[in-house]
Amino acid sequence: MIQILTGIQNTSAALDAEQTRLEVISQNIANAHTAHDVDGKPYQRRVVVFDTVLQNAMGGDVAGGNLPAVQVAKIERDTRPPLQIYDPGNPDADGRGMVSMPNVNIHEEMADLISASRSYDANLAVVKNARSMALQTLSIGKH
Amino acid sequence: MSPLSAIPAYSPNLLSQIDRLPGASGDVAMPSALPVAAPADSNSFSSLLGKMVSEVNAQQQVSAQSVNALQSGASVPLHQAVISMEEASVSFQLMVEVRNRLLESYQEVMRMTM
Repeated sequence: MIQILTGIQNTSAALDAEQTRLEVISQNIANAHTAHDVDGKPYQRRVVVFDTVLQNAMGGDVAGGNLPAVQVAKIERDTRPPLQIYDPGNPDADGRGMVSMPNVNIHEEMADLISASRSYDANLAVVKNARSMALQTLSIGKH
Repeated sequence: MSPLSAIPAYSPNLLSQIDRLPGASGDVAMPSALPVAAPADSNSFSSLLGKMVSEVNAQQQVSAQSVNALQSGASVPLHQAVISMEEASVSFQLMVEVRNRLLESYQEVMRMTM
């Protein structure tokens, strides 16, 4: 395949990764009040961990076009303790009327959401730029 | 949907049109005096052009496939489909540009007074 748009492989991988991050954030927001995760405990906030990978796993140097791209390494749980709220009427309440709720902080998630969305925008700007560079290059020698 | 679904239909057409272009047909080989290292057959201008056209054709098909997959509900990310469409479009423009330069030089030769 001819590489017509510069750096498009890396950008595509980054868009993939940011999309996963957005999905995880939306999952966190959706489960902000889920008292029972799949393991029965209150939902724990998930965090995405990114990793750098070389496009060509068989080696090759960076100067030879083997530029490192990004990928989602793992999705970890945030181990902060669950939020304790007083709700004696809740069926999950303990003897003191306290209920364990997820450790999701909506404000934190919104900040993360904005950050992920801006990173996605930045990568889209790279694609746009690569496209206009290619089109400008094609118009060399035109009058 | 409609402009992309039409692509596989007209791509072969395009190939045959390029074939009919003056100067691009099989009988014009690279003059042997030019510093061409590999054997003239695989490196001839027409085969180079043909390779390029089939490359562009393949890219168009990849983009049509990813858009089809996206629209039929497969888990193709949206950006991947759009990027492949963009790649197909830019490489098509590159091919058109090559064709234009080719025609320009052919017409230049035809205008030559003897």
